[in-house]
Amino acid sequence: MAKVITEENLRSLIDLLIKAGKRVIGPKRAGEMTIYEPLASGSELTPGTLPRRSAKEAFFPLSETILSFQKDRDGLKVDDVDTASFPETVLVGALPCDAAAPQVMDAVFSWDYKDEFYLERRRRTTIIGLSCTSADDSCFCTLVGLSPTDTKGSDLFLTPLAGGGYSCEAVTDRGEQLLAGYPELFTEAATVTPIPAAQPEGAPVDLAKVKVWLEEHFEDEIWEEVANRCVGCGACAFLCPACHCFDIVDEGTEQKGSRRKNWDACAFSKFTNHASGHNPRDVQNKRYRNRFMHKFKYYDDKFGKTLCTGCGRCIRYCPVGIDIKGILEEIGKKSLSTKDTKGHEANHHG
Amino acid sequence: MKSTGKPEPTVTIDTSGYAVATEEIRSEAKRLLLEKIVDAVVGYQSGRRKGSAVPVIITDPAQAEQLVFSPACVNNLSIYLTKAKKEIRAKGKLAVVAKGCDLRALAGLMGESQFKREEVVIIGVTCAGVHSAGVQPNEPLTSATIAKKCRECSVHIPEGADLIVGKLPLLPDLTPTEKELLEKLDAMTPGERWEYWKEQFTRCIRCLACRQVCPFCYCEQCLCDRGRPQAVDTSPRPSGNMGWHIVRAMHLAGRCSGCAECERVCPMDIPLNLLNRKMAQELKELYQYEAGLTPQEKGPLTSYDEKDDQSFIK
Repeated sequence: MAKVITEENLRSLIDLLIKAGKRVIGPKRAGEMTIYEPLASGSELTPGTLPRRSAKEAFFPLSETILSFQKDRDGLKVDDVDTASFPETVLVGALPCDAAAPQVMDAVFSWDYKDEFYLERRRRTTIIGLSCTSADDSCFCTLVGLSPTDTKGSDLFLTPLAGGGYSCEAVTDRGEQLLAGYPELFTEAATVTPIPAAQPEGAPVDLAKVKVWLEEHFEDEIWEEVANRCVGCGACAFLCPACHCFDIVDEGTEQKGSRRKNWDACAFSKFTNHASGHNPRDVQNKRYRNRFMHKFKYYDDKFGKTLCTGCGRCIRYCPVGIDIKGILEEIGKKSLSTKDTKGHEANHHG
Repeated sequence: MKSTGKPEPTVTIDTSGYAVATEEIRSEAKRLLLEKIVDAVVGYQSGRRKGSAVPVIITDPAQAEQLVFSPACVNNLSIYLTKAKKEIRAKGKLAVVAKGCDLRALAGLMGESQFKREEVVIIGVTCAGVHSAGVQPNEPLTSATIAKKCRECSVHIPEGADLIVGKLPLLPDLTPTEKELLEKLDAMTPGERWEYWKEQFTRCIRCLACRQVCPFCYCEQCLCDRGRPQAVDTSPRPSGNMGWHIVRAMHLAGRCSGCAECERVCPMDIPLNLLNRKMAQELKELYQYEAGLTPQEKGPLTSYDEKDDQSFIK
């Protein structure tokens, strides 16, 4: 038996969650695009197409206040942000490439320093994932170990059905609780016919071998070849579900202002600019190399995870067509024929 | 905001001349590199995605065979000649493939003394139009897939290039959708216009793609990146966003050559070229000036004449 929810009941569920005081974030129409945004009602949900920006904003907003300050006759007053005031949230309709990303980022935000802003939002968020039914030539989740039906990161997972509605799979206890909380919205079905899942083109890449190749090719002509044309904007990082670098800035006046945490991007020339004026990544292709290395080597070195879920946004919106899928496939091929002269096999973990 | 024009039937645009252009670009690039007239050629090559074209910098004559010209050649390659791309300029003397619109940017850059005419070989391409943002690169060029700027193009055949390649077909008449949008904005009250732009800029995520693809944003230290003192808030919030886009528009007034790359690359679909065009319109009315028409001109905002209009001083 499978649990099934109709499209109408899914929208009712959203309405009920909002009524219960929860913030419900889901894909919502905004002009010609869809964006993950807080929904005012279930009717606003626009599921199925990949939103322009990723769902990471539910945990890691593009700009947030981390403290505010005020100076008056009595002196300086600093106010911390009360993370306990963060709203209970349900992220609904996250496609697998977006739903899987927070689990990857959890590692860096709870490493030596616990980022309470990110972690508190994570703790307060339930993710309702949605199986993906359409892929284009920029999609590559299957190359990086995920799939259009992957439940990774979801608490509850929806699969669109041929006759309308969705079958629902509780992936975690939280997902179970959500199902149990609204039993009237779900029905049981003996058999269900899902809409066929998307089929991104391309064969899986051996990421362990890619990593070994990267270790040995920090200096390689490929970086110039693929990234000399990089213009140094942040479109790739800002649309990415897994990029998580941020910049801390103080804004306001001497009397009153706030300290903010804003998205940053390794493609920006200022990203590694030292106070001395020296920049170790002095040209654009070195900055792109860092982006690729971070995703497929450094993050794996540190946390045993790949920092890419294959959503393809950075390909679709790169002003100069830098194609991480193509580069990954190319390095994947090169890594098969490279002799591992330094004996790195023992070091990596698939 | 949609165009006010009536929906037009989709017309296919003849791009058979692009194959001719591709052949001629290849042979010219090969010759220039073989004869060591240039050290590198900035052009377009095919990408992995079907029908796609991406910028490429080649230094080996054998690579000339990779060069292409197609409706997917959307980029304005003149950015690779600016000091924002020192590593490309370091390769030596450059040749660049330029559509008519791109050549206007090159002319503007020469006017701003960014390089001298003799320092660059310009391969001008006759162009019937390129794709609009978001179009799958393998789609044919039609009135539905063509970029807005191309609908009003007046430079299908580039002027001032070292040679012209390709062949221009008969071009269909296309309604000027961007001009119509601009008229619609002009007809608004200042309050309505303010609201319109506020809404547009609220979407901005400050990825700065608009700045990074702009041939005229070549400053080594952008005012808007400065921290001490900070001119514009860097946070992607309404106040800083508005500040950034106003600074951008003002700094491009009388300089923007209308390539509309800023709008094409905006991942948040902000119609930035409307601002550029508005600025250009003002400059034309006030100073009878159009940017990028000839290479050696000084812009009205970078020069002084006693006869200049001073009615704005009150």
